[in-house]
Amino acid sequence: MDEFDDNEIARLLRLKRYEQPPPGYFENFLHEFHRRQRDEMLRQPLWRICLERAHSLMLRLDVRSLASYPAAVAAVLVCAAVVSLKIYQQPETARVALQSPPTLSVPASAEGEWSLTSPVATQIFRTQPVRRFNESAQTHRAAAPPRYVLDSVPVSYESTFRF
Amino acid sequence: MDQPRVDPDQELVKRTQSGDAGAFDELVIKYTPRLYGLVYNMTSNHEDTNDLLQDIFAKAYRAIRGFRGKSSFYTWIHSIAVNMTLNFLKKRGRRFQLSLDDVDASIQNDKEFLESTATSSPVREADLSELQRRLNEAMMKLSDEHRAVVTMFHIQGMPHAEISKILRVSEGTVRSRLFYANRQLQNYLDEFRKNPVS
Repeated sequence: MDEFDDNEIARLLRLKRYEQPPPGYFENFLHEFHRRQRDEMLRQPLWRICLERAHSLMLRLDVRSLASYPAAVAAVLVCAAVVSLKIYQQPETARVALQSPPTLSVPASAEGEWSLTSPVATQIFRTQPVRRFNESAQTHRAAAPPRYVLDSVPVSYESTFRF
Repeated sequence: MDQPRVDPDQELVKRTQSGDAGAFDELVIKYTPRLYGLVYNMTSNHEDTNDLLQDIFAKAYRAIRGFRGKSSFYTWIHSIAVNMTLNFLKKRGRRFQLSLDDVDASIQNDKEFLESTATSSPVREADLSELQRRLNEAMMKLSDEHRAVVTMFHIQGMPHAEISKILRVSEGTVRSRLFYANRQLQNYLDEFRKNPVS
């Protein structure tokens, strides 16, 4: 039979099993593999190496239930670091601004409680140039009779400190 | 019904998963020659095969913690090898020129080689080296998927069922790919027999 049948093809293809790499290739393959693994590891960031080491240490100690803990602990630490950093970097003025509302609208109920015995409050309002003059005048004229406040001079000799 | 077989590599896999790198070395030593044959016959290039093999074992090492033993390690590592090689071949595309090594000169003195070719009338008539070169060319004309099946079945001697697991296709698909690939190889080699100088 002159044509190649399936068996003939199969027989020829089996000959390809004899095609081998250069001598010594398999002996050196493992060394090459280790070398590449080391190179790859050196390119990784330090934290990842530490995390992997911790993970494999836990596995080696057979603490399987704790195997996922390093990731969780790392995540918590990162969150804590971010939050504390934000708090630390927040400027003092920003905190003051948050504590007192940005506008100077005085509630109607508080209008009656406004007294000359609180010069500290008066000074704080003066530091915030958020109101226009006309607006201020209208509010005061409409709600109450004019009052006069002397800056930086206590209007009373009573102690302003409260404990 | 298939009986669940114990994976012969189970112990080495477990040791590797526990962080024993030496156990993985044993797996590398065990599977390198076999995977080399698989990848080499799909790529037809020694350098590419070497790089791919390194990548395959590196990937297997990174992924072995997730290996749950649903298949044997043998099937698992072969799946990684075939998929990575197919991806590589897709990227390489058609820019590859066949630089495939013809049959080693030494293999023509191999006893098993001579025995296997002595009874074959077409082979006897043709120059073995030339025929092998033609066969390699014919292999490279197959699609990557067909070549993978031919390599696993004819060269590596895997059963259809194992190939279907590795490729995650049905056994019918494996058989049909084999049939089609065999026809293509036959046509190409017959052409060579009729017109050996072409």
